[in-house]
This record gives sequence, C-alpha cells and structure tokens, in this order.
Amino acid sequence: MAAKEFDMSIFRATSRLVKEYDIKYDPATPVPSDDSLVKDVWNAGLELFTEMGSYCLNSSRRIMFDESEIRAGLREIRGEAVIGEGSERRTLKLRGIDDNAPPSIICGGVIESNMPEGELFVKLYQSIAQEPLIDGFYVGPPLQTSEGRTVRSGTPLETHQGHSMVSWVREATRRAGRPGLHFISACSAAIANVAACDPNTGLRRSDGIVATIMPEMKTDYENLNKIVQAHDYGCVKHVYNGGMIGGWGGGPEGALVVAIANAIMATMVYKIGIGTSYHALGYLRASTPNYSAFVTRPCIWGSSLGGQALSRNTKIINTVVAMTNSGPGTKMQFQEISSAIAAALPCGREGLSQGTRRFKVRPLLGSGLENRFWGEIGHAMAGVKRDFANHIAEEMLQKYEHRITRDSDGGPPGHTFDEIYDLKTLQPRKKFLAVYEEAKSDLRDLGLDI
Amino acid sequence: MASEKDVLQGLYDAVLAYDADAAVKAAETAIEIGIDPVVAIEKGLALGLREIGELFESGELWLPHLVLGAEALEAAIKVLESHMPIADLESTRTGTVVIGTVEGDIHDLGLRIVASMLGANGFKVYDLGCDTTSHAFIEKAKEVDADIIAVSSLMTTTMPFMKDLIEALEAAGLRDRFKVLIGGGPVSENWSEVIGADAYGRDAAEAVRKAVEIMS
Repeated sequence: MAAKEFDMSIFRATSRLVKEYDIKYDPATPVPSDDSLVKDVWNAGLELFTEMGSYCLNSSRRIMFDESEIRAGLREIRGEAVIGEGSERRTLKLRGIDDNAPPSIICGGVIESNMPEGELFVKLYQSIAQEPLIDGFYVGPPLQTSEGRTVRSGTPLETHQGHSMVSWVREATRRAGRPGLHFISACSAAIANVAACDPNTGLRRSDGIVATIMPEMKTDYENLNKIVQAHDYGCVKHVYNGGMIGGWGGGPEGALVVAIANAIMATMVYKIGIGTSYHALGYLRASTPNYSAFVTRPCIWGSSLGGQALSRNTKIINTVVAMTNSGPGTKMQFQEISSAIAAALPCGREGLSQGTRRFKVRPLLGSGLENRFWGEIGHAMAGVKRDFANHIAEEMLQKYEHRITRDSDGGPPGHTFDEIYDLKTLQPRKKFLAVYEEAKSDLRDLGLDI
Repeated sequence: MASEKDVLQGLYDAVLAYDADAAVKAAETAIEIGIDPVVAIEKGLALGLREIGELFESGELWLPHLVLGAEALEAAIKVLESHMPIADLESTRTGTVVIGTVEGDIHDLGLRIVASMLGANGFKVYDLGCDTTSHAFIEKAKEVDADIIAVSSLMTTTMPFMKDLIEALEAAGLRDRFKVLIGGGPVSENWSEVIGADAYGRDAAEAVRKAVEIMS
C-alpha cells in the first residue's frame, strides 16, 4: 500500500468513528470531566488501530495485529518506570485521574531552539539540572554544528555530534551536583544515539532514547532502530507522538482518536511494555495555519481527554509535551504552561515536558526558570480535580489565546538564556523572577495553592 | 440541455463535495455542450479548489479535504485535457512547481499541505515526496521545465541540504532557470538569505503567496 493511500484510509476510518461514537469538540470545556466521552474516545482509538494497524515507510507495508494480540500487548505494560541513578533514582508510577500523589517532573529541554555547541550549552542544561523539583529532562533538538562544522543528517559528523552533545549534558548534570540525573536523548539518527550510549560520560541505562510515531500511525527503520537500541542496551524508552489537528485525522475530534491509536501503536510496534519506559502519548498538536503548537484550546481539550483515556484503560506512564507559542521569560509562557499542566496532571499524566516552539526566532530560547515553574505548578496541581483544572485552563486560555496569531507568529518570542540568567551565578535575573512571581500570584488568585 | 452556468456550478460543487465521479460527469457534460475547457477549469473546477484552500486556511477544513478536492479536480481535468491544446491547458496554470523534502528528511505533513495549497491555487505540482536528493530535484525540474523548486525541512540537520541544492544548481549553470522556495519548521527568513534562496514561506499560505509573486 502506498503511504498516500494509507493516509487517506486513516482519514476515512477516523471520520467514520468520530461520527459513530458521536465525539464532539467542546471549546467551552477545555478539561472535560465526562467519563462516558473518555470511554468513547478510547474505544474509537482502539477500533481505529485494530482496523488500520500502522504503516512502515521503508517497507511500504502495514503492520497489523488482531484483538487478542493487542490485549496481550496492553497487559505487558507494568505502570512503573525507574529512572536515574544513585540519589537521583526515581520511580515513575501510573497516575490516576484526579490523583492526589505528587508527580514526577520530567522537563525539557529547549525543544526547538537552535543551540550553539560549547560552554553556553552546558550552562543552559546546568540551569535546568540544578532545579531541585526536576526529576529528569529532555535533551533536544540536536546541535546544528559539531566542532564548528555544520552537521548534515546521515553523515558521520551527526554520529559524532550525538556522542559529544550527550557527554556535555552529562557534564551539566555533574556540575549541578546531580550526576545520576535522568535525561532522554532526541538525537535524530539512531546511530547517533548508539554513539551516545556510554555508562560513564554519556547516555546511561538509567537514561532514555526518544523514538517517534510519525503522523499518522506511521513508523520507519530509523525509529525502529532507536527502539531496538533501547532494548539491547537496556535503557529507558520514550515514545512520543499524539494526533495532529489538521492532519490525516482531520479536526480535533479525529486527531484525538488518532492520538489514542498512536498510543496503542506504541504498545504494539514499539513494545513499550518490555523494559523500562515512559512516554508522551495521547496529546494533540496542530499543524494548520489557524492553530499553532500544543497549547491552543483544541489541543488542551484533546490532550486532556487523551490523558484520561490512556490512564483509565492502560498502564502507560504518560508525560505531556506542551511546546509553548511564546518564548522564555514572558508571562504568556507561564500562562501557557499553566493551562498545559491543568490538562495533564488531573487527567492522569505523570511527568511533564516542555519547550518553546519558537525555534526559528533565535538561538538559546530556553532556561531553567520555566522548568522551575513546571516543577512548582506540577506539585501544586497534585490533588486538583478536573473541574477546578478546567477553571484554571479556561482562565489561562482567556489571557493568552487571542495573542496566538499569524501576525505575531504565535506570541512574544521571549528572551534568550543569557538574557534571563546571570551567567556567573547561574541564577535568573531579578526582572525575570518578578515575571515568574506575578504568574504564580495570578494562579493563587484563582485559588491554586502555589 | 444544461446551461453553461449550471455545468460550471456542477464542476465547482463536485470539487467542493470531493466527488471525483460527479466532477468527471460534469466535465463530460461541459464537453458535450461545447464549453471551452479552459473556462470549465478556470470558472468551475479551480474556483472549487480555491474555496477549499480558503476554508483550510481558516481552519474549517483539513489536509485530507484538500487532497480529496484536488483528486476530484484532476479527474475532471483528465476528461477536459483531451479536448484542448496543451498550450491552452498550460495557460490555466499559475506555474509549475517541483516539490519535496530535502535529503534525509521524512517529515511529509507540511510538504503535503503546501503541495495541496499550491495545487489549489492553480500550480501544476510535481511532488517528489520525502528524502529527495538535490540531483533528483534538478533532474525533475529540467524534465518538466519547472518554474519553481520548492523544498522543505523539519530538522536542523537536514536544512544544510537546501544550501547543497542551491550550490548544485549553480554548479550546473541552472541557478537562473529555477527559483528556489524554501520552508519548514526550523527554516527562517534569515536562513533563506544565508543560502541565497529566492523566497521563504513560513507557512503554507505564505509559501503560496511567495510562489505567486515569483510567477508575477
């Protein structure tokens, strides 16, 4: 089957299932508490994966499973993952909906900023690693240069870069006094991840490799190689993907059904029940001109329901990916983080991860400060019920969603790491701490104990 | 006998309904009653696909709708083209684009959106898909006498292949023959200037605007 044919088959099947299960996007309730809707979303996603399977771009073949195999695959997931080493060893556990337990905080990275190699890169990750509420973090994207030379995909330089980038991140954890702190590597090439695996200075078995599901319900040998390496090396697996609003699933409802099917695909094709793993599945992101990134209203709605459906029906330990439209050091970014967390923690997601979408603006758009915020609000959100989370998400969305426009390119670009942090003390400057405190104060005014 | 107005409306409606069979039937009727095929394309089919493009841009329709609408349009054009000189068919085109993601990049969603939006705006699009080498872009552009080579990348490590494409065009003495339009997640206006591309589109809508500007 050609990929294009598979894509359109996904659209037809998803459209039919959305209709059959009467799944309707409700912009008035960004964090729904409707358990029957959650059940329908799960059943539709399960039916979609059972009917369609997944698609391998290299072999141009579908990978199919029958119902009994899917049930067996789902039973393999244990609902627990141990990460980190020594005093940084943590156990992630499946969170229930409206769970009171404190979460683990797997933060990130500077997901989409162009990073320079060298000392500033180390300091930036040190600023994240030194945050006491952080239990681990995401490293990505890969650096654009290696020893001053531009890295091209698939070249030996990319392999070398994988090793050097990860060793610098390990150095950042060491400087922060947390050498065993867990992180996950998002090197683009599987071979670069292989090169990065080193129990001393590189990627340890308590760290992780990121593999993705491609939109929608597709894989390739590069991602399967990453999974095989995680199996054989014995490190943590982290599978990432949700449904794309505007993609082959269609609108928010279809993207949500696809997001669930993608999670089941992770279980069956990427075998996440074997070994240690945690994931970022069942969330929504957007590709269309009128939506942007991960924290718009329909994305919040879908991610909330996706988290609930997976928490209720599987033992997948789930983080959330929520790239913000606005950049670091802005109040809008804290507001976006707040609504993302409101749609995550009370909805059965465990850790959290984040980053800034605005990577094309300028390099170094990331810092420890927004990661600190994720940690603080994540812990404050433990025990919050969905109806109150809905209130917080609604209030936050009203503050920022009108700013996500094409003309603004999504919102304010924010500030670079060296603007936000004093590089000598590696602490945030007063001006940015004030913005941070203002954002917390707004949440306190809404009744959140932060 | 159906009026010209009704048939043109039928062509428009068929594309908007993603109904290839109805589009073919309406195209056959257009030929039967002697409607100029160029008029059938420009005043019927193309308007329907443009409408889908506008609805996509405003978030009311999605990528699969663009694809289905384009399929209906292409099915009808196959009927019409056998009744018109090639030059007339070409006159209905805004331009010819060879499009793909660069070498090493397999992220096709943005590519498919841009390709569909270009099609909706009257471009003849040759979609080479993912992981396309500079050599393949150039060979196809030569073969179809393209106006524009449009390339996308979603990874910072595949962006340099855009530069390689421009250098390959220069080395082949073809830099002036084809305009290079670039886009994709990590790509920026600044990168476009650095590598000497002709235009940069930050999203599908802007890519189409830039392509139209190139042709004007």
